[in-house]
Formats: sequence, C-alpha cells, structure tokens
Amino acid sequence: MSALSYYLEREGISTTGISLVRENTASMQPPRALWVSFPLGRPLGKPGDAAFQHRVIDAALRLLNRTSGPVLEDYPEDAPTVEVDHAPACPVSFAKHTKETDTWVDGLRAELQTLNPWHDLSRRRRDGRTLVGISGLSMQENLEKLGRLLDEDRLPDAELKWFKAAIEDLKVFCIEALTAKPGEYNQQQIENIFWFETRMGSAVLEFNDRFRDHAELSAITRIIAPRAATINRKETGKADTSNEDL
Amino acid sequence: MVRLKDLPDYEREHLLSKSEPPLGPPAWTPLAQEISRSRIALITTAGLHFRGDPTFQFADATFRPISGDENADNLVMSHSSVNFDKTGFAEDVNLVFPINRFQELAASGAIGSLAAIHYSFMGAGLAPSTYETTASQVAGMLKQDKVDAVFLTPV
Repeated sequence: MSALSYYLEREGISTTGISLVRENTASMQPPRALWVSFPLGRPLGKPGDAAFQHRVIDAALRLLNRTSGPVLEDYPEDAPTVEVDHAPACPVSFAKHTKETDTWVDGLRAELQTLNPWHDLSRRRRDGRTLVGISGLSMQENLEKLGRLLDEDRLPDAELKWFKAAIEDLKVFCIEALTAKPGEYNQQQIENIFWFETRMGSAVLEFNDRFRDHAELSAITRIIAPRAATINRKETGKADTSNEDL
Repeated sequence: MVRLKDLPDYEREHLLSKSEPPLGPPAWTPLAQEISRSRIALITTAGLHFRGDPTFQFADATFRPISGDENADNLVMSHSSVNFDKTGFAEDVNLVFPINRFQELAASGAIGSLAAIHYSFMGAGLAPSTYETTASQVAGMLKQDKVDAVFLTPV
C-alpha cells in the first residue's frame, strides 16, 4: 500500500489510507497514513458497523488537509472484540474420523453434505453473497479432486493455480457455513474450528505437510496454511491426531 | 490487534522483515481543493475482483478495475497470503473495500464525488518497486477520471 501511495503521489494524485503494520509504514514513509490497531484483514475495523467504519474513514480523510508530510497518525480506537461465550454457537458437531474405511474423499464428501445446508442458510442471510467460486469448480468437484490427490499420495504440482484457488474456496466455504447464524463472531474461534476440527482444514494442513517435504515446491507452503495454524498444530497436536487413522 | 508487541515472536519477526526503506525522495501532492469538493477513488491491495475476472497470480503486480456501477457484493478475493482474517470480509465487503461508506459520503456531500472506476491490486510476494509501472498506469486512468485523491486500504 505504501508503494502505491508513493507512486500515485509522485504522479500528482493525493493519497491517504490505512496502515495495519505501523513499523512497515514508518519505514517506507508514504505521504499520509492512518495506523489502526485492527487485525490483519480488517482495515476498517468492524464488519457491519457503518458508524465505526465512518469514524475510521473520516480520520484518514482528514489527513488530506495536512500541508506537509510524511504523515503517520495513530487512530485511537481499538476494534471491539467478541468473546467466544457471546458468539453464536457452532452449528455443526464435527464427527471423529473413522478407521481404515474413511478415505479423504469419503470424509470430505461427508463433511460437504453436513455443511451444505448451513452454507445455503449463510448465503440467504447474506442476500446471496458468497466468496466461494474463484476456482471455477463446484465445491464437490474441488473436494473430490483434492481428496483423490491425498488418497493417492500425489501433489497437484502441475495444477498449482487451481490448487490454490480450490483451497481458498474451501476455506471461505467453511467460514461462511460456520457463520450461518446471525450475530457477531470471534474470528479466532472460527479459524480454530476450521483448522483443528474440520476435515477440510485437516486436508489443507496435510497438503501443507506434503509440500513442505517436497524438494522443489516447499515454498508453496507459504500460500497454503497460516503460520499460526501450522505452529499451533505442532504445539497442540490437535490436527495431527485426525490423520493418524488414514 | 496488530501491535507487534502483542504478537508471537514468529509473527512479529515475519512482519518486521517486510519493512522496506522509502522508495525515493519524498513525494507529496497537496489536495487541490477541499475534501467536500474532491473526487475520490478507492484502491485496495486485498486482491479483490469480480468472480469472472482473472484471479491474481501468487506474485502479481497487475490490477483489476472495479466499476462503481457494479454490485460490490459480487467481489471475491484471490490473495496469495493466508496470514490474515477472512471472516470479516465474508461478512461485510466494506470492511476491506468501503464502497458503501464512500457512496454515503458522496450522497451527504462530505466528499465531492466518487470515481467511476476503482482499482484492486494484490499486495504480497513482490518488492514494493515492482508496482511502479502499473501504479503509473492507474495514475493515468485516475487523471482521466478527474480524480483528486485516493483512499487506500491494505488487508
């Protein structure tokens, strides 16, 4: 963001904007930036709260009135956090994986059937909006393909673009299904359910492990699973146990 | 919260490793007129685009235009980074791309007008200087649209 700000300003267009990592912005010194303490992924702070978002925008726009810079101002308000106890309960109880008969394809297919009604409900609550669909395949097609790769111990090394899009589709599908009920959610709780309780999350982490051990493609792990999920998994062993039966 | 002191060591070190020096001598363009008379465009580095548009590559300095006439609820995200929250954007497009908020500002007269076209980049995996060419292209299109100022959002 700092780079775009610099280049646009150099071409005669005024800029202002949000900084999420103060240290990065302070180092690059874009002309005007408002640092906010919000989580990565949430530059306006709080979803569904127009008044909150307007306060952030107003503070950033006012930086346009400054007569000299660079300007890096700190926004004083934190985004409110949602306690897990106050968030809507997870609508799904995820089944433990069964023994030898439970292939990845079977497990992913079963989980899709469980989550589909919740995803439908979620779309209706969001007036049809969904982030699923960048892979160009249906969820069923993606999961069958991903499951077969895992069952056959193969990596999609010739289809990396599809693979990345498919796992992103899978993640947002789960997020949307898990947040089908109206209410405010604790984002970390949703992340933890996805990575450590769902078969889909286990599948993504399994791909992460297999790419990590690949001689030429280990760098792909950086775009598969977040550091927090892989490190927490090692520390807690939560997700590892789900794969021991396969 | 992205206060580095609150983050685990591995996360703090990763984010600090992304700090780069300034790209050149300071650039500064004063706003030509009052905000209430200015035409404003939104630019995000969140890797947003409409579902039928080409997805962003793993490292990609190109951009996607986002027409103000289209329904922003149809935007999707193909960002290569996995280290940020997506639950909020799934709930509300304005959390990342505050188009409805700016439409409200234009309607109330707080800003002069909203650009016809906004732009989305994907900010990950490349040196900041890699964006010079495409940023310059966008600057040219913004000038054609008589845009005075840009509001930038990362993810």
